[in-house]
Amino acid sequence: MFWWYREIMKKILSNTFASYFLAVVLAFIASGVFIAAMGYNPLKAYQTILFTSFRTVNGFTQTLLKFIPLTLLAFSFTVPYKTGKFNIGGEGQFLMGAIGATAVGILGANLPTYILLPLVLLGGIVMGGLWGLIPGWLLYQFKISEILTTVLLNFVSFALVNYIATAVWGDPTAGHPTTLPIGDGGHLPMLVGNPPLHSGIIILLLVAVGIYYFTDRSTLGYDIVATGANPRAASVYGINTRVMFVLGLLIAGALAGLGGAIEVAGIQHHLIEGMHSNFKILGIIIGLISGGSSLAVPFVAFFISILEVGASAMQRTLMIPIEVVYIVEALVLLFVLLSDVVRRR
Amino acid sequence: MTSGHEVILQMQEICKRFDTLQALDHVNFELRAREIHGLLGGNGAGKTTLMNVLYGLYREDSGEIFLKGKKIAVNSPKDAIRYGIGMVHQHFLQIGSFPVVQNIVLGTSVKNRFTLNLDYEAGKIKELCQRFSIEVDPFANVNELPMGTRQKVEILKALYRGVDILILDEPTTNLTPQEVDALFQTLKVMVNEGLSIVFITHKLREVMSVCDRITLLRNGQNVTTIDRRAATEEELVRGMVGETMDVSKSVIFSKGASEQINRSLSERVVLEMEKVHCVSEQGIELLKNITLRVHEGEIFGIAGVAGNGQLELAEVIVGIRPISAGEIKVYGKSSSQMISSDLLREGITYIPEDRLEDGYLPKATVAHNLILGAHRQEPYSKKGFINWRKVYEVSKELIKEYNIKTSGPADTAANLSGGNIQRVMIARAFAHAGDSLLVAHNPTRGLDIPSMDFVYHKLLERKRQGYSTLLLSEDLDELLLLCDRLGVMYRGELVGILNRDQFEKYEIGRMMSGVKRNL
Repeated sequence: MFWWYREIMKKILSNTFASYFLAVVLAFIASGVFIAAMGYNPLKAYQTILFTSFRTVNGFTQTLLKFIPLTLLAFSFTVPYKTGKFNIGGEGQFLMGAIGATAVGILGANLPTYILLPLVLLGGIVMGGLWGLIPGWLLYQFKISEILTTVLLNFVSFALVNYIATAVWGDPTAGHPTTLPIGDGGHLPMLVGNPPLHSGIIILLLVAVGIYYFTDRSTLGYDIVATGANPRAASVYGINTRVMFVLGLLIAGALAGLGGAIEVAGIQHHLIEGMHSNFKILGIIIGLISGGSSLAVPFVAFFISILEVGASAMQRTLMIPIEVVYIVEALVLLFVLLSDVVRRR
Repeated sequence: MTSGHEVILQMQEICKRFDTLQALDHVNFELRAREIHGLLGGNGAGKTTLMNVLYGLYREDSGEIFLKGKKIAVNSPKDAIRYGIGMVHQHFLQIGSFPVVQNIVLGTSVKNRFTLNLDYEAGKIKELCQRFSIEVDPFANVNELPMGTRQKVEILKALYRGVDILILDEPTTNLTPQEVDALFQTLKVMVNEGLSIVFITHKLREVMSVCDRITLLRNGQNVTTIDRRAATEEELVRGMVGETMDVSKSVIFSKGASEQINRSLSERVVLEMEKVHCVSEQGIELLKNITLRVHEGEIFGIAGVAGNGQLELAEVIVGIRPISAGEIKVYGKSSSQMISSDLLREGITYIPEDRLEDGYLPKATVAHNLILGAHRQEPYSKKGFINWRKVYEVSKELIKEYNIKTSGPADTAANLSGGNIQRVMIARAFAHAGDSLLVAHNPTRGLDIPSMDFVYHKLLERKRQGYSTLLLSEDLDELLLLCDRLGVMYRGELVGILNRDQFEKYEIGRMMSGVKRNL
């Protein structure tokens, strides 16, 4: 009786893109049930969530500003994921990057832009990379699970931010733990003045292309993919898999650290306690929805950015709690992962 | 003598489909009382699948099973045993540290439930042993027994449960020729005692020597069922391989044709092992005092019952496993300090035994798999970047030449079946095999007959080009067919090396069970 349904499903499931699209639609329908149950109009909520980013220039700029750190955090998950390792420490590496950038920005406050800005960004990359290298080294030397170490290092980084933003360079006039501002030379130049859009987007696009070439085109990327696909076989055929694990985590830390540096240099100009809370584990969610594909990450990150910006607008205009969007995001992830399982059957 | 007996089991029009593969296509099978019925066919013919259906491990999609005229439904091995059907698998399901009697009674109810005193059960086992003239000590630990005896334990397991139909899946794998003879004797006794036996095999000689009737399958379909006395080898060969293969040009069915190839040893030594020892992290000696030389243009075989150090031998040669003492030289250069990536550069290629664990990247694409190990070499990569266009080009050619069933180079490798995975291993090895040494461990496992023959052709072609191969195999026939010289391993030791003119099956069998021979 349901032959037509079966045929249609078969067609959809044979196409990766179509099946993911279906998963997203299903996620929206399912979360609509929650929204309706809470007494709000789901259609209005969807409209706000999906179209805020495109209705005004400001909305679009906000989306791009979210898009930059989210993409970098997502890459910081997918690169180690390709080697078969799970980096749960994107947040911590992001914050360490912010610390590094801020430290350089404060210490070299009087340097001109063409010296200070690269140093600020480099400070972020180095500190983030270090925060990725520590779990990498623990894994290499003692075989300690990177899941454990990356999660725990997050807490260390939270405390470090707090310490630096109060005891080291704390700004006594601020009501919240915040450091002094970094030198003007450390600010990312603006592409557009109003609404403000900084040039971090250009850096991001270059990085995204670079990551794609690295993971999908280079021999080192091949080594990484082979390691993730079957470490034993990879090592039998001459790939040093343990080095690949470390390399993956190091790159992950550097990417997340760059994200933190761009956030400091482009938007905040200070180190602020809790500045990562806008991103949380979204990097991991984006990475998982992308299935680890470097090509898919920017697109998924952009989609999630739309949801995030839409969600704030929804809260402002419709008084619907922002948490609704977390439900949508979680369900998208769930349905996408589910569609992978169904497809394999 | 037994052909007059009544039919006790019938399988009619059995179909079974796995995904896109029609494993069984309207197969009929009929077993008479007190006969040894050979179920013959190459890999992938559907022999094991058919019997797994009968034993309740698989559920048939359609078709019917009749036992003594009554229709039965077998949903689990438990059902099968209730109907008196037992099966001995190729890989034994035994707990090595348990004594024989515990292995046999496992899963049945015992008399002294709380004290677990198994004397009564051991007595029953001894009776069975006497009746079927099998020699097994019920209180011996299973892991101390030779392969042939472990198999008898497996047969006893079925007999203990009172089956009267016994299915044996490739029972001669891993047995020495002597053990094979003993097994055949046991089978004949069992038939005289009233059992009916299904004997699954791909070896023609075995069915010809022990079976009463033969059912031949190919690609999941019936080819024929005939009386052994009416069958000729020619006819069975043709039936096994089908029309696609030219039997007259095959290596497998050639009678001494491969003798024409030059068998004299070259002076140049490619691989030299001198008193090599290998001790595991737990302190177990895996390799003891191995000394051998593989010359240029030689196929050097390693025979032995599985698990006697062949895997470790292969691994120390390709540099995955460190040696504890001794020396390994490749073209006169000591390789003790080299790891696998260095040896790849020296031109050593490896076909691992455990293809899934040691040789395959299931989550990557077929193309990834086809260049694994060669991905740092031209033309596949240049200046740190992979030339995917070239890789795909080569991959497409390999897929065609090696008859790999896949949708293309970009297909996810996990989608391939076992035989096709093996073809990927083979294609990769031969496409990138350097001019020094190919280490091939059970390279034809899981391949159908034409593909096996193809591999043999490739190995002989390497030989003709002057390249060397170290061939480790569980299949003695394969070794006898191809090798110039043959080393036999037993418990990590090389008990002897034979030249081709010294090849004699029973002599090798004696060596496989540990009898030393003066080198």
